[in-house]
Amino acid sequence: MKLSPLSVPYKAAQKGGSIVFTLAFVLFSGASAFLGSIGGPLVAIGLLGLVVVVLVGYETLYYQRYDYDLTPDTFDIRSGVVSRRNREIPLRRIQNVDISRNVVQRVLGIAALDFETAGGSDTEAAIRYVTFEEAKRLQSEIARLKRGDAEDAPEVESDELFALSDRELGIVGALSFDLRGPGILFFLLSGSIPVVSSFFEFGVEATLLALGAVAVLAAVVLVSWLAGFALAVVNYYGFRLSRTDDELLYERGLLQRYDGSIPFDKIQTLTVEDNPLKRRFGYATLAIETAGYAPGQGTQRGSEAAVPLAERDRVLSLANDIEAFGTPEFTRPPKRIRRRYAARYLIVLGVVTALLFGVNTLLGASLPWYGPLAVLPLIPIAAHYKWKHRGYWLGENHVVTRNGFWKRQTKVVPYYRIQTVIDSRTIFQRRWHVATVTIDTAGSLSLSNQDAAAVDVEATDAERIRGALEDRLVTAVAERRSHRRQAAQPFIGPVEPDVPAEENGGESADGDAVDSESSEQTDTTSRDSDPSSV
Amino acid sequence: MLRSAIGATVVGVAAFFLNRATLELPVFVPVGLFAVLLVVGIGFAALRYRLWGYEVRGDSLYLERGVLTRVRTVVPFVRIQHVDSARGPVERVLGLASTVVYTAGSRGADVRVPGLTADGSDELQDRLKGLAIRAEGDDAV
Repeated sequence: MKLSPLSVPYKAAQKGGSIVFTLAFVLFSGASAFLGSIGGPLVAIGLLGLVVVVLVGYETLYYQRYDYDLTPDTFDIRSGVVSRRNREIPLRRIQNVDISRNVVQRVLGIAALDFETAGGSDTEAAIRYVTFEEAKRLQSEIARLKRGDAEDAPEVESDELFALSDRELGIVGALSFDLRGPGILFFLLSGSIPVVSSFFEFGVEATLLALGAVAVLAAVVLVSWLAGFALAVVNYYGFRLSRTDDELLYERGLLQRYDGSIPFDKIQTLTVEDNPLKRRFGYATLAIETAGYAPGQGTQRGSEAAVPLAERDRVLSLANDIEAFGTPEFTRPPKRIRRRYAARYLIVLGVVTALLFGVNTLLGASLPWYGPLAVLPLIPIAAHYKWKHRGYWLGENHVVTRNGFWKRQTKVVPYYRIQTVIDSRTIFQRRWHVATVTIDTAGSLSLSNQDAAAVDVEATDAERIRGALEDRLVTAVAERRSHRRQAAQPFIGPVEPDVPAEENGGESADGDAVDSESSEQTDTTSRDSDPSSV
Repeated sequence: MLRSAIGATVVGVAAFFLNRATLELPVFVPVGLFAVLLVVGIGFAALRYRLWGYEVRGDSLYLERGVLTRVRTVVPFVRIQHVDSARGPVERVLGLASTVVYTAGSRGADVRVPGLTADGSDELQDRLKGLAIRAEGDDAV
């Protein structure tokens, strides 16, 4: 099948825009004097025409030579004007299917379609511009083929799980800060700082300077808050999350609309995140990780969140809907560990105070260097809270860990998704006989974020947890395998009774018709050299 | 395996030259520093060697390592993606090799078993490969 014909003028205009701009800039600045003698505007128009012809020609060729095809097992793309590339993506390996459209694209009725797989960091297939209907069709077709439904199977209805209300959107915005805004501003203003500072005679009262600093700080906070607000609204406007039997579907965005699907059986980790403010008002954020990437990752900061904000109960029930982990009862680290945190804070405080004191004596100024000591009484409280918000829980099918006071993350990892278990003890932790057990998954958010970890648990417990996790992973894998032989949907929701069981024990080579977690281990010898088996 | 002390010597020598290059005047200072570094380095390497261990268990590969931070890693065979046998230039000179086990994880994605003999490394690689195939790992992702 072909791309949308509208992609030709759109892409040509897109690429042409920047080239024409550069060209115009060059022509109307230095080069015009040189070229002026040969007939100025004529040359410019000629060049412009050439650029347009080349671009439109190239895009037309690209369009003609781009061909994709959805087969029952694979998605094939044949593309390339000069160097050709044929790519086949097994449908089972597709993690997410994302559709995005900006304003212009929406007017033209075209959409960009992205497939994510676990292999590599790049998007596996980026189809630049098919019609929106076609993109939606492909999205649902792929879901259908992965399910193994027949061609004429009834359209699966999707239940709406969550829609972000305007009020919640406002709260998301109000709680968002974006430091890039002030960063740019600072960059722009930094040139003027010498000018400003020259207004002050050297030795002007420090109070004035301090006031200025406070004003600048306030401005930075305000700007970053406004930027965060704007970004959040643009990102999450009209956020909707719905589910079919085996996929989560989301929609969001004001200027650029995103439509994506996240297959349930590719979900690695769920993270419920909140901070003291959100906790106070009973809100939380839910992030869903797959191995491909987190939705919208990279391009837009902060948009990994699957549910940007909702009432805590709703987030928890939603998370339970996706992964039935129950109600975790956290085991906290041993109480004595609070002393360790307190000691840690004391050291930091001591260093800060000493530094201030040092600066003070060196410069002979009379700053209140003992100022930081005022927070001394807060240290035990801080240590207590740090301890209080730590914990782990081994559930029936999931391990849940919780960490952090300011940014509390509760991570839910199904045993089945564990990759490695790392139990580490720093020299200080050994003194306190505690250890940290880190649970590594293939989730991609973990690259930049913290992995699920039971921090500062009793050393003997750590040993036990490590063993237990290992056992349960092996059990989960075995269970999963036997389930696979019986039914298509072992993981999410009730097993559907009307799905025909695999007669020959699920080892059939057309396992993709059954489910996407079967990994076709019939051909085990090729395993080491098969990177796509991720 | 104790020859990871070589690493310490390399560091010591590097520090020596660095010292020579930057602070040329006091000759005995870099020499003394070198000696201290060497002793500490060798001691450290010896400790590291003593604390390093791996074990091929029923379901998983288990590793223990670290002097200051003790780390124990469990890599279930079902999660092994592929196994490398790698030999760097220094390792080749000393007749050593490492086996590197890869998983799909993000943090502990590659687990290294260093300081094996070349044959030992190949053997471990084969063994792990066999075990991983037998474990018949699922998709995981």
